[in-house]
Amino acid sequence: MPVTSRPLSSPAKGLARRISKLAPYLWVLPALTVYGIFKLYPLVSGLQMSLLRWDGIEEPRYIGLRNFEKILSDPMTGTVLMNNVHYAVGTVVGKIVLSLLLAILLHQALKGRTFYRTSLFMPVVMSFVVVGVLWSWLFNPQFGLINSFLRGLGLEFLVQDWLGDAAVALNSLILVDIWKWYGFHMVIFLAGLQSIPDELYEAARIDGASVWQQFRHVTLPMLQPVMIVNVTISVMGAFNVFDIPFIMTAGGPANATNVMALHIYIRGFKFYRFGFSAALSYVLLVIVTLVAAIQLRLMTSGDNTD
Amino acid sequence: MSAARFATQKRTQPGIHWRRIMVTIFNHSILILFTVIIVYPVLWMILASFKTPGELISNIWGLPADPAYQNYADAWEKAKLGRALLNSGIVSIGAVLVVVCLSSIAGYAFAKFSFRFSTVILLVMVFTMQAPVPIIPFYVLFVRLKLTDSYLGLILAIASGTIPLAIFIFQAFFRSIPGELREAAKIDGCSEFAAFLRVVMPISGPAVATVSILTFVGAWNEYFMPLLLIRSDELRPLTLTIQVFFLQFGRAEWNVIFATLSIATIPIIIVYVFLQRWFIRGLTSGSIKG
Repeated sequence: MPVTSRPLSSPAKGLARRISKLAPYLWVLPALTVYGIFKLYPLVSGLQMSLLRWDGIEEPRYIGLRNFEKILSDPMTGTVLMNNVHYAVGTVVGKIVLSLLLAILLHQALKGRTFYRTSLFMPVVMSFVVVGVLWSWLFNPQFGLINSFLRGLGLEFLVQDWLGDAAVALNSLILVDIWKWYGFHMVIFLAGLQSIPDELYEAARIDGASVWQQFRHVTLPMLQPVMIVNVTISVMGAFNVFDIPFIMTAGGPANATNVMALHIYIRGFKFYRFGFSAALSYVLLVIVTLVAAIQLRLMTSGDNTD
Repeated sequence: MSAARFATQKRTQPGIHWRRIMVTIFNHSILILFTVIIVYPVLWMILASFKTPGELISNIWGLPADPAYQNYADAWEKAKLGRALLNSGIVSIGAVLVVVCLSSIAGYAFAKFSFRFSTVILLVMVFTMQAPVPIIPFYVLFVRLKLTDSYLGLILAIASGTIPLAIFIFQAFFRSIPGELREAAKIDGCSEFAAFLRVVMPISGPAVATVSILTFVGAWNEYFMPLLLIRSDELRPLTLTIQVFFLQFGRAEWNVIFATLSIATIPIIIVYVFLQRWFIRGLTSGSIKG
């Protein structure tokens, strides 16, 4: 009879194996429970709420798709959406252009690189509340730094009511958002630039490529992965933006700075239209998903044609 | 010797030399311009926090004539900043603890074990982590769980947003740790979990630091969650306190507002300047692989 070194009889071993098969789930369970309850569950449970007329206090009433019909027929929806698209285009273009320019400058062998990088990244660690309150004063029409600076330079014609004028307010908020975040995108571009091998530039130079041609045909294509990351993050940020307009203008004047996340909050917690607000959240969710999908498609399909 | 001199002269043609100097000057001037645009408003805010209300209007660009330290005493008292700092500290440290503990354990499992649905779980997280949460069901959930107006509720609300990114950071780090380490610990009689706690975690400082900074700064600056979930004055964190104070006194006492903003900003900027490498890595991780 062969001597087995097995310490366990086979049914016990089967049990042990089954337990060890289950073990990985126990490791991921705590994290997934928190994520599942507080992130995934509201994503699903809100669907049912979007079908209700409900003020959060009285008994909710089922009204089918009426909230969605109202969203489609409400002229506010278009205003808010257009504001949000305007905001997204402004912030994304501003952040990408500025951060790429500064990343390229910082990528050169320069004295004081660390100093510049530390300074330019600084607003990223600051709170939006601090940034928002500070800029509300800088934008103050009478005593604010911006107008005082413009008057000092004799540029009186540029002086304006930055947050009070409906034609200007949204662009002022875009400026603040760019100010707060471009350092973040700059660091990501910088990491991308550092990963481009020098040989590529040397080869381009031997072929007689100008600085612009090197940028166009070496730098930009090689930066595509980080470009996708930067554009995706800034687009998502723009469609989720809440803090800046809520703190600086509360959506005004005359809804000129009202954006989707703010609209959802105001409908829900100022007017207590819980069902309508929940329905709006799903409209935003669909828009964000579509934008992300289209953008990924566009940016990765450019890769194939090269 | 004269040949050598000739050679160096040839290499540094005056035209190229000048062009390089011009480029350097151009680079520095653009960088200095943007550094000023970024740093000056913050510096100005700190200077303004020492001005009197009259000086804010009459002396916009100059230094405060006679530093009004009183602004800071007023800010501290009127805005109840002591309590606000305490609340922000509790919530931020709580969020760091929850995120680091849960995500490191989960990240280790995703990195080292193979199990069914692991890819599916990770994909679900990738696709949902950026999605804007519908705030009504989110709020109703917290009301039903009696988690509004509590530290725990706020900590969980903030942690749940950071957990996926933290799991990805830990997973990438643990993948880079050689498997022999874990095997050696297991041969020494350690259970899998003991090996993780006693052998793997002690050498995971970089990943823990990255996730901690990312979570701490996010929680410290978080404004929307407390706006949604905190009702009572005593539990308000710094961000919400500043906003409420701004609404109450903003139009009248800007100098005190600037003192409040400075108290909220100076500590985090000092820590940032000293640990800037870690901050930049922490806050951009997840966007930059490796």
